[in-house]
Amino acid sequence: MKAAFVTITAGLMAALPLAAQSVEEFPTKPMTYIIPFNAGGESDVSARFQQSEWENVTGQQVVIQYQPGAGGAQAWSQLNSIAGDGYTVMGINLPHTVLQPLAGSVGYATEDLTPVHYFHYTPDAIFVRQDSEFETLEQLVEYAKENPGMVTLAGSGSNSSNELANTVFNQEAGVTTTYVPFSGTGPSITAVLGGQTTGGFNYATSGIAQGDELRMLAVAAEERMPAFPDVPTFTELGYDIVGGAYRGVAVPDSTPEELRQRISDIVSEINAQPAFIEKMEAGGFVLADIGYDEMDEFVAGKVEEYTAGAQALGIIE
Amino acid sequence: MEILGYLMDALTPFNLLLALVGVVLGTVIGALPGLSATMAVAVLVPFTFTMDPAAGLIALGAIYTGAIYGGAYAAILVNTPGTPSAIATTFDGFPMAKRGDGGLAISLATIASVVGGIVGAVALLLLAPPLAKVALAFGPTEYFWLAMFGLTLIAALSVGNTVKGLIGACIGLFLSMIGVAVVGGDVRYTMGMQRFLAGIDLTSAIIGLYCVPVILDLVATRDPHLKPSETGGLRLSEGLRLSLARKFNVIRSSIIGTVIGILPGAGGSIAGLVSYSEARRSSDTPDSFGKGNPDGIIATEAANNATVGGGFIPTLVLGIPGTPPDAIILGALLVQGIKIGPTLFTTDGNIVYTFIWGLLIATLLMLPVGLLIGRYAYGSIIKVPKAVLAPTVALLTIIGSFAIHSNPEDAQLMVGLGIMAWFLNRYGFQPSPIVLGLVLGAIAEQGFVQTWLIGSSSGRLPEMFFNRPISIGIICAALLTVAFPIWADWKAKRRAQLARTPDPESDAGTDIPPETKMRDYPGMMLAGLFILLGVVVYLGGNAMSPLGAVFPKTIAVSLIAFSALLIAMNLRRPDGGFDRSVRFDEGAWRRLALGVVMLAWVMLLPEIGFLVTSLAAFVAIMVIADYDRPPLRTWLIWIAAGVMICVGFWWLMANVLLLRMPAGLLF
Repeated sequence: MKAAFVTITAGLMAALPLAAQSVEEFPTKPMTYIIPFNAGGESDVSARFQQSEWENVTGQQVVIQYQPGAGGAQAWSQLNSIAGDGYTVMGINLPHTVLQPLAGSVGYATEDLTPVHYFHYTPDAIFVRQDSEFETLEQLVEYAKENPGMVTLAGSGSNSSNELANTVFNQEAGVTTTYVPFSGTGPSITAVLGGQTTGGFNYATSGIAQGDELRMLAVAAEERMPAFPDVPTFTELGYDIVGGAYRGVAVPDSTPEELRQRISDIVSEINAQPAFIEKMEAGGFVLADIGYDEMDEFVAGKVEEYTAGAQALGIIE
Repeated sequence: MEILGYLMDALTPFNLLLALVGVVLGTVIGALPGLSATMAVAVLVPFTFTMDPAAGLIALGAIYTGAIYGGAYAAILVNTPGTPSAIATTFDGFPMAKRGDGGLAISLATIASVVGGIVGAVALLLLAPPLAKVALAFGPTEYFWLAMFGLTLIAALSVGNTVKGLIGACIGLFLSMIGVAVVGGDVRYTMGMQRFLAGIDLTSAIIGLYCVPVILDLVATRDPHLKPSETGGLRLSEGLRLSLARKFNVIRSSIIGTVIGILPGAGGSIAGLVSYSEARRSSDTPDSFGKGNPDGIIATEAANNATVGGGFIPTLVLGIPGTPPDAIILGALLVQGIKIGPTLFTTDGNIVYTFIWGLLIATLLMLPVGLLIGRYAYGSIIKVPKAVLAPTVALLTIIGSFAIHSNPEDAQLMVGLGIMAWFLNRYGFQPSPIVLGLVLGAIAEQGFVQTWLIGSSSGRLPEMFFNRPISIGIICAALLTVAFPIWADWKAKRRAQLARTPDPESDAGTDIPPETKMRDYPGMMLAGLFILLGVVVYLGGNAMSPLGAVFPKTIAVSLIAFSALLIAMNLRRPDGGFDRSVRFDEGAWRRLALGVVMLAWVMLLPEIGFLVTSLAAFVAIMVIADYDRPPLRTWLIWIAAGVMICVGFWWLMANVLLLRMPAGLLF
């Protein structure tokens, strides 16, 4: 009788852990990481870098799935309908999640989303191809001043970080350039390499992928990047342009506070892995470490910045 | 030869095993509509992290090439491209299968795929760095004209019905504009519904437009789905003979496929369509295309497998992925710490060349693997009773459209479009022009707007559009494709006239009055609806940014013009009265019941759960599709088979592909 009681109790205990699981033990099964874009872009590549460290840090694997559509809005508008058990997380991007809701009804508002950690950003940068006549940004600006509108710059999509940077650049340098939107970094870099446009406003990561085929004239980072010690920042050259796309991890809004913090800690820990740092920096990504505790402040600052940008883009009055 | 040395590295037992398993897995996944090469590759990437880079690449490449090939099965046997690359395979593959030549069609597809795959892989092996320049030579203008060239295929696909074909294309182009625009960033024609934000998903649209009408017709008669073949089997030797006789077509299509594969953003579906169009144009019997001409299958399948090797060229040389699976493989390489780019072929030559040899071996393995799987697939499609075949195919359409984004809304759209396609097809608006518009719309629009932006910024717009060497070449090819059928038609009429004049007597007595077309009232009513749609689309464009509005407005005007033309043409025809012969016979009732069951299935799926609704719908469709009234025992066996099929696929999706299944009331 006593044995039976013990067996039953043990059985119940075994059945319980899912409910009574402590946050420290999380995760106890593989996690799912949804990327709201197609494979091959910066969001995918950086998530794959995380994936290769995920098991070392958490003891569990993470599965990457793609849910592309509407520049990410398709996935973000569904984020909160996912179970908030912490096992499904989603990639989240700035300025996309601020600019999209400003531009139109996309099924979510910026404050509906719950980012728990922004782990890196890729600065915007101006590129021309190797045999271009422009050796420095100054030459390009001069040419653009003499020939308003003639300079065409390819970039990734409309209302994107690239277009925002292009608009700010026009204002700062007092020039008019023509921004040509493409469906992602791949096609826009192809256009730059093929000489279809004068140059491109892309992310610094392209400077790594294309090597000597492209010349980076300036980068919108705060300081020179380790991967490109010879490329000046816009700030150095006298243009106040610092920006790019931030990428992070978001959870459904039903996720409990402790789990949000725990997932933020996991991402932070991966950010500190030497192999991860090496791959990211070699790839032209700039690591950031904006955890859950400082998230509200960070997002509020970015919303303010991008709202001003949206006015410049003509998205809002 | 250093390159040959890497062949030995690729020939290790482990690499051969990976290539074999990859091809088998890829072929099966590709054969199931909706389960795509991209999905298979994405799921398997983490397993390659721990492998040697070349071995991991071989596994991924083998799955990819297998999946592109596997798409042909579904195209031939159930008229549904298993992957978008196989769209043009349906044009002749399904008619061949219908008349009992399904086995032969599979043999032809296999042979063409292997040859195409080899041509693409050899190009990758020997000519990758110079060929990568092709990707760079193609600017927005060229993409625009390439899309226009693809659209000229409508003239060929809708012979004798060109205006309806053009209307269909406009509808497809309109569907392609729904959602957030890449250029301009406008939210277009979503009617405020979140589900349309990401646009109409191409794969679920293809499944709906091609496959749902087939199932609807399948249950409406008691005839078997495919005519049983007389000789049985795949008729491999006949297939080899036919392919040898068409070696020029095989080679030309493989080269077209390789080149289009190099262009980032074009992909296998466009390669298949372009080489199909070329095969038709250069054929002596263009009229037999679309009615089961082996050349059509050979052209498409050789081209789409050639894009695999071609697509790796920009991926490995420039770091710009040619196709979505290439993009995932690119990510896998970066994780392995391999730097992609112009120096890859020298610094990591051992990995790259071992991989390319592995890809070649995998392509060769496709021949035995494909013939074995093909034999089994063909045999089971013929043997399975209609009462099990119909619900199984229906289940596959639902799974396929759901699996793309784990989203039941895609399945709902699929069924909706499918029922619409059946109606439109009944009144002469075929699905292929709509699909063509949908496939090419985004490329045409982006190319057009980008060309316009670049051209007008420097004040040389006409030169941008019409004065670039490659563009001129594509424009000429397009003009030829449009003009050739008209010219051939005129020549045939002229010859018939000349043949008749010297011998007037023979016509006496056998004089058949020329078949006059009667006024087509349903077509006119639909055209009226399309004019209305055009007006709505045009007015909708007023609220958009100039960049986002130019294409929708152009399409709206074209849609209105073509629809008006159709009405005008019909007004000139004699009035035959309204056709009241449409009766509600038994077949119509069964069709209606099936449509209702499928609609209920996709609507209840997110509410109740995947497995419960699927089981219920499976049994319901069994009853609808049954003509034989077999004994209870047979019924029980059928239902048991149905349960196994439903549970098996559910398990596969939830546990292997790790899709998020809808959390309904039950399960």
